[in-house]
Amino acid sequence: MSSGSTSDKLVQRHNLIVMFEHWGIALSGIVLLMSGIFQMPSAARYKITAIPGFWWSGEFFVTLKLHYIASVVFVGLILFHLVYHLLLKEWSMVPQRGDVSESVKVLKTFITNEPEPPFGKYLPEQRLAYVAIAVPVLLLVVSGLIKTWKNLYAPDMDRTLLLWATWVHNVGFILFFMAFLGHIGALLIKPNRPMVRGMLTGKVSREYAEHRHPLWIQELEEKKE
Amino acid sequence: MMQPLENGISRRGLFKVSAGLLAGVTGLAALPKKLLAAPVEGKLATLIDLSLCDGCADRLQPACVTSCKQTKNPTIPQVVDPIPSPFPTNIIEDWSKNQEVANRLTPYNRIFVQKAQVTVNRQEKTISIPRRCMHCDNPACATICPFSANTKDVNGAVVIDQELCFGGAKCKTVCPWQIPQRQSGVGLYLKVAKNFMGNGVMYKCDLCIDRLKEGKSPACMEACPKKAMIIGPRDQIIAEAEKRAAAMGGQIFGKKENGGTSTIYVSPVSFKELEQKLTPASDDPKNGQPMLKPDVKRKMAESDGLGKAVIAAPAIGLVAGLVGAFVKISERKTQNAGKENQ
Repeated sequence: MSSGSTSDKLVQRHNLIVMFEHWGIALSGIVLLMSGIFQMPSAARYKITAIPGFWWSGEFFVTLKLHYIASVVFVGLILFHLVYHLLLKEWSMVPQRGDVSESVKVLKTFITNEPEPPFGKYLPEQRLAYVAIAVPVLLLVVSGLIKTWKNLYAPDMDRTLLLWATWVHNVGFILFFMAFLGHIGALLIKPNRPMVRGMLTGKVSREYAEHRHPLWIQELEEKKE
Repeated sequence: MMQPLENGISRRGLFKVSAGLLAGVTGLAALPKKLLAAPVEGKLATLIDLSLCDGCADRLQPACVTSCKQTKNPTIPQVVDPIPSPFPTNIIEDWSKNQEVANRLTPYNRIFVQKAQVTVNRQEKTISIPRRCMHCDNPACATICPFSANTKDVNGAVVIDQELCFGGAKCKTVCPWQIPQRQSGVGLYLKVAKNFMGNGVMYKCDLCIDRLKEGKSPACMEACPKKAMIIGPRDQIIAEAEKRAAAMGGQIFGKKENGGTSTIYVSPVSFKELEQKLTPASDDPKNGQPMLKPDVKRKMAESDGLGKAVIAAPAIGLVAGLVGAFVKISERKTQNAGKENQ
């Protein structure tokens, strides 16, 4: 959702704000997944507490604190992300018409080794993946806020609302976990690997960008002029 | 001058016990009728007057225990045979063959009567203490149940839904008194992943919520021959407890323990002394015989500050997003103006 300057060998793919959002959400999301799992009565049963350094995994009040700390970062950054990019009218991650059929074509090229079609800054499946992550994230944020409110102020909250919030949170957890695994899995596919560097340093090689994202490079060149 | 303390109880202590009994009886007589009836609306609380309870010394089993067993045990489903062995612990908790046990909490015994032998001037005095769920005001057992199988009703009762509970026993772990008790071989887990997730259903006093909603008192209270347990509007019960405690020079337990509860004990003897002499009582949660330590802190309160930060996080993110976007828009405008000037 950002555009950047170009140089001879590298092209800036993400600015600092986008990298901060991505890594903040990613790291807090991992802590949330882990502390969420440990909120289930699982760590003591499966002897995770016996692993050196993991004594805390069976302490529900400790993992609740961890869950809260990670939630502050996660929820704050999600709201920041929505407001910031909405106001700047940065929509490049939002799915476009034809993304589903285009994604199927791209996935086929991974198997058939046929050349990929030219891409813009993001691949069609990246835009679909964004929605696949965004939906469980929003479910988790809304239901999590309701559950936190209940913990603090309304232990006798309406049972129907509470059950909805609980099960939306639990289903959201499963969807988010699957989306997380899918995201990591996508980075293992060879053609996608240069994008890891992009998210770590903010820059990708010009060679990669011109080869795979010519429409984006063209856009950057036009802006330059 | 006061008599020297003997086992922590003075002559004044004996006076308190006697005065407590007297105050309890007279208090009962003076109690408004609506306190003895079971109101169905609003926040409720129960009062357990230890100056009145004698543990039903003339019976084989306290009436509250018998009544609770008769009312609640038929609601527990038939336990499957064999009970699935939970991986990897292989620990099964089966009380179905020992339903008669009455000297501790079990799924089939949700209230029991502890005793405390206090010696006053070489005279033994037995205080009987009915023990069950305290129905805390903000109970961790309910608020952090991962499936919301354990919830707090608006009337104050903390209730486990046996149709939803997986028997993971988290509620027991976070309860300062380890009240909920597990019965393996029943419940939802049998239909999901019986060897790998869950291990039965947790059971505890639900304040006879179904009876309350029918306008009846909890079974234990209705059966109590001494009227040592009463239920009523929370404010009135607390006022009544304070009145009785003042009259007997005694103490209250449950008003502030674990952040406050809906069960208020009144005793002519200090709870610190009672706790030291509880029988049976054990620190081991496996024994289902809770301690009575006064001033138990609400452990979850330690995370309340962080919880409030979570509630504030959307607003913080929103403001940061607004500020960030306006800064960026201003930069863009400046850049565009610069380009136009060139």
